[in-house]
Amino acid sequence: MTPDLKVVIAGVEFSNPLMTASGCCGYGEELSEIFPLSKLGGLVTKSITLHPRLGHPTPRTAETSCGMLNAIGLANVGVDKFIAEKIPFLARQKTKIIVNVAGSTIKEYVEVCARLNDCEPIDMVELNISCPNVDEGGMEFGADPKMTEKSIRAVKKVFQRPLIAKLSPNVTSIVEIAQAAEQGGADVLSLINSLVGTAIDIDTWQPRLTNNKGGLTGPAIKPIALAMVDAVYSHCKLPIIGIGGIASAADVVEFMLCGATAVEIGTALFIQPDIPVKIAKDLKTYLKDKKLTSITNLIGKVRKYK
Amino acid sequence: MTKIISEDIFIVKKRNLKNDYYSLVLKPFSKIENCQPGQFVHLRIPSASIFFRRAFSLADTNAEKGTIEIIFKVFGRGTRILSSFRKSDYLNVLGPLGVPFKLPDKKEKVLIAAGGIGLPPLLYLVAEMVKKGYNPETIEFFYGGKTAADIIERNRIKKMKVNFHPVTEDGSFGEKGLITTPMEEMILENKAEKMKIYSCGPEGMLKAVNELGLKYGIEGQISLEAPMPCGIGLCLGCVVPLVKGGHARVCCDGPVFDIGEVVL
Ligand SMILES: Cc1cc2nc3c(=O)[nH]c(=O)nc-3n(C[C@H](O)[C@H](O)[C@H](O)COP(=O)(O)OP(=O)(O)OC[C@H]3O[C@@H](n4cnc5c(N)ncnc54)[C@H](O)[C@@H]3O)c2cc1C
Ligand SMILES: Cc1cc2nc3c(=O)[nH]c(=O)nc-3n(C[C@H](O)[C@H](O)[C@H](O)COP(=O)(O)O)c2cc1C
Ligand code: FES
Repeated sequence: MTPDLKVVIAGVEFSNPLMTASGCCGYGEELSEIFPLSKLGGLVTKSITLHPRLGHPTPRTAETSCGMLNAIGLANVGVDKFIAEKIPFLARQKTKIIVNVAGSTIKEYVEVCARLNDCEPIDMVELNISCPNVDEGGMEFGADPKMTEKSIRAVKKVFQRPLIAKLSPNVTSIVEIAQAAEQGGADVLSLINSLVGTAIDIDTWQPRLTNNKGGLTGPAIKPIALAMVDAVYSHCKLPIIGIGGIASAADVVEFMLCGATAVEIGTALFIQPDIPVKIAKDLKTYLKDKKLTSITNLIGKVRKYK
Repeated sequence: MTKIISEDIFIVKKRNLKNDYYSLVLKPFSKIENCQPGQFVHLRIPSASIFFRRAFSLADTNAEKGTIEIIFKVFGRGTRILSSFRKSDYLNVLGPLGVPFKLPDKKEKVLIAAGGIGLPPLLYLVAEMVKKGYNPETIEFFYGGKTAADIIERNRIKKMKVNFHPVTEDGSFGEKGLITTPMEEMILENKAEKMKIYSCGPEGMLKAVNELGLKYGIEGQISLEAPMPCGIGLCLGCVVPLVKGGHARVCCDGPVFDIGEVVL
């Protein structure tokens, strides 16, 4: 019997636990040139904002040890163009569609999500709360439990399908933020977004990113992400989507053992764009070797030392 | 069937072109039929210290043999490691990527403007044109470098029977100076003729070539470079501003752009 990779999150069924991470596959068109998107459990779009954004000037990416820094600056086509030009393609794909939403005020999040609510092909929205709140002096929504709860509650009023809160790791206690998201009515938690970091060119003495700092992603952040998933799983009831440095089936297994129901793959797509196909295959082999019939048997089963 | 593949292929020939320039011929590349001049491949360099792939223009392809060629100069960590690879080693190649050059009309005079390691895609372009029956005598091949050491593959260029115009900044080989000077002279001498420019090279040179095209109303294309984390349009790290506004991704909306299209 071939092991079952199917997972269910907030009532939505995914053919496997593998999704793309926001900002790492645009709106899906390019990746579909590499492999059929039906091989993915789900696809998470680049963050969508109310108005189009060009993002920061280049250089806005830099290579680091086992990872990268980016300060793309939420470049995206804006919600109207997204719905008009990108949704028709996404609607034809046999995979679950999750739209990531960013904003700089609660009003903006609400407005974007209200429009997405009328858009039938969208299965879920993922709220990127690692954004500066202009109404609160630029402090990140996701850095403060109250702002987290408030923004999620506001969006829940206008978006009727499952809502994922994507948590920032750049906080004192991610558990506290996770609980605030739960309180606000989030259906799912995804973690982690990128870690603040920078790199300097020692010839010019300038940062390697025009934004002076950026977000660290890739294999370098996996141990941190894993520990955060583990901590949140122990303190929250919501299903978790694990994110951070995933590049192999072994990585996926680790995240699921720590409590993730599914995962998102980001930076690894840049190095090996067809990696989700290989991971799905390797996961089946792993489950067979372990004599498991369903991948859900892994969720939260880490055997911790007493 | 997808147009792009990532696969491990073998180095079947390695040439040291001296002064830190190398040529690698790899096979069997299963998307060889899709390859066109101006496109590039993204190579994974298997080393713990190299995270991103590195982009290399196709310098030639051979459909019968299933081979692709890249030519590179040792520049930094990645290309240093790449230069230590040998025949029979394999590399993971992602490609073919990017938008190719648009071929000119057969009646047009063609001005090739290659600068330094911008040579490879233009070698492929000219080889393809010659193969397709373009008259090599209508192709003016300007090729600039800092010194004589930077003018590689001279015999290969001469064998294509194009009009070869080497230029070096120090005058150690060919004319002394920058290629835009003899190019401008050529343009002025042939004002009546319809021409096309094709260029790849350092940013300063591309800027000058772009301006030359705009000044004399000559159409053409330039091939750009940018840091490319993914090479296939996923990350938005490689963008350039467009004259009409907005951004284009160098990896998949380019690397070949029309003269006058991008803000340089
Ligand atoms: C379309 C295209 C075609 C090219 N064709 C050729 C060719 O035919 N021949 C040739 O010799 N060179 C070519 N190059 C340039 C080649 O890719 C560079 O020489 C190479 O990236 C330098 O790598 P390195 O590892 O030697 O240098 P490094 O010093 O390691 O890299 C230079 C710096 O750039 C950073 N960097 C490298 N790659 C990336 C990336 N993808 N994204 C962000 N930062 C990065 C590194 O971290 C480092 O800081 C091409 C580049 C492009 C974009
Ligand atoms: C180039 C790039 C762009 C990203 N853009 C977004 C974005 O727009 N919205 C968002 O919520 N996360 C964004 N992320 C973060 C990823 O979705 C993910 O949380 C992070 O990269 C960690 O996963 P990874 O290590 O697998 O890449 C981006 C990451 C990268 C590398
Ligand atoms: S290199 Fe990633 S979009 Fe061009």
